[in-house]
Amino acid sequence: MISQELKKVILTQLDLDDFDLQDETMATQVPGWDSLNHVNIILAVEKHFNIKFKSYEVLRLKDVGDLQKLVDTKTGK
Amino acid sequence: MPNTIKFENIWNLLGYKPNEPLLFNTSLFLFLFFGLIIIYNLIKYNKHARVSLLIIFSFYFYYLAAGYYAGILILSTIINFFLGRWIAGTESFPIKRIFLVLALILNIALLGYFKYTNFFLQIINDFRGTEFSPLAIFLPIGISFYTFKALTYIFDIYYDTMKPTKNFFDFLLYLVFFPNVLMGPIDRAAKFIPQIEKEPFLSKDDLGRATLLICTGLLKTVVISSYLEDNFLSRVFEFPLRYTGVENLLAIYTYALRLYCDFSGYTDLAIAISLLLGFKIMDNFNSPFKAASIADFWRRWHISLSTWLLDYLFKPIQISLRGLKMWGNIIALVVTFFICGLWHGAGWNFILWGTYFGVLMSIAIIIQKPKIKLYKALKIYNTKILKFFQIVITFHFIAFSFLIFRLSNLQTIKDMINQITDFFHAEVFLQFIEKMPLIFGLIVIGFISHFLPVKFYTWMKKTVTALPLAGKIALLVIVIWIAAQFKSADIQPFVYFQF
Repeated sequence: MISQELKKVILTQLDLDDFDLQDETMATQVPGWDSLNHVNIILAVEKHFNIKFKSYEVLRLKDVGDLQKLVDTKTGK
Repeated sequence: MPNTIKFENIWNLLGYKPNEPLLFNTSLFLFLFFGLIIIYNLIKYNKHARVSLLIIFSFYFYYLAAGYYAGILILSTIINFFLGRWIAGTESFPIKRIFLVLALILNIALLGYFKYTNFFLQIINDFRGTEFSPLAIFLPIGISFYTFKALTYIFDIYYDTMKPTKNFFDFLLYLVFFPNVLMGPIDRAAKFIPQIEKEPFLSKDDLGRATLLICTGLLKTVVISSYLEDNFLSRVFEFPLRYTGVENLLAIYTYALRLYCDFSGYTDLAIAISLLLGFKIMDNFNSPFKAASIADFWRRWHISLSTWLLDYLFKPIQISLRGLKMWGNIIALVVTFFICGLWHGAGWNFILWGTYFGVLMSIAIIIQKPKIKLYKALKIYNTKILKFFQIVITFHFIAFSFLIFRLSNLQTIKDMINQITDFFHAEVFLQFIEKMPLIFGLIVIGFISHFLPVKFYTWMKKTVTALPLAGKIALLVIVIWIAAQFKSADIQPFVYFQF
């Protein structure tokens, strides 16, 4: 389940009003989430939650659900 | 001793001949593949039997291209199979990383020794100003492709997006699989290895797709690529000053078409052959000249390489430099495309060719925002007319890049450009059409078929799939007959072999 907070950070960064983000949603399915923009989203998530990812943690993410899990682990949820 | 002579003939036909790999579009391949398919279908329900047959046939196929250097592939299989297992076998991240680095060093050392030793020695000697005679190092064909294939296995295990296979022979088959061992597509271990377990099944759709791909593959490689190369391109590129600007410009456009037809045609055949054996391998091209930007082009051209570079090179650099924001992207782009160039060959022209794309895409990032503002002010943002011009301009950037790709001699490039700017002679165009209708016709057909909407291809696939078996065979016979007519001289080697 994607939290409203994470969803808001991603959609704001992508300049999207709304988009149905599910656990299994992949970056390529979301308008504007391309390989160049990917890094901006990661930065925005790190900044918003005040966390720091390791490179390999980001590189192994397959979908938004994985990102949510990573954020949860880092924020201690 | 008539028998001895016969055996010698057979040995000559079926043995290793340097620089004469077995190409998919030869009658010998057709004959051998036909035999393979018959035996394969008899034994395909037994996994060991079908895997063994495919490995033996693939090794024979690869031996015809690389001789005894085919053994390097076994070395690569052993290294990567065990390192993959060790990476997965430990929970400790620092140890995983040590194995990853070891795998990278060994793979790059193997590739580097065969492919780049002379190039680097040349550079060192140039700096010193000393004389240098190249070492006799044989470049085993396909080493760049199978090394990159092996690395997808290592990286995906490291990132924990796939589990290593327990079966050494499954991994060996993945690396040596003959349809893509010489020229790709650089398939992913994570997609291929699970298919080895499954019983091969050829659906009606797959058979239709394979039939169509064999037709397009033969027409692209034999009719368009080889014919235009032999009868037009090689002449202009050898002596550009003998021709007017019209012919030089046409040659530049046509070379882009030839490179596409050659490489994507070979890929079509590789995909079709894999389908007939029950394997789905990744696609490599998606009408690349329809691209409206350089970034778009690289999403459509040699997709298996560009996604490899994106996943295993660009992203790691980009993520580790994310603090630099846009500049992190730019550094990642330039480094990635520098390596992309070097991967294509040990030569300055390849490095220049790759870096050219890195620089162009970096400029595109820098000017992206003001560019969109300008389009909006001019009220052309997201319009068809803008897209048309973007496609035309992108094509010119690409066609020019292929000039660097083909010619290591900058003077020839300068000569061709000079002929276009100073000695154009537009009237020659009509003469060209009149004197060389077949060549001009092939160029036009080549480009038109490239720009046809996707709907047309879908319709063709449906039509071919709906044909009864006899109809499919008749279609193949017609296409093979046409290809045979065009094969007037010896076959041109596929351009991508040298990598």
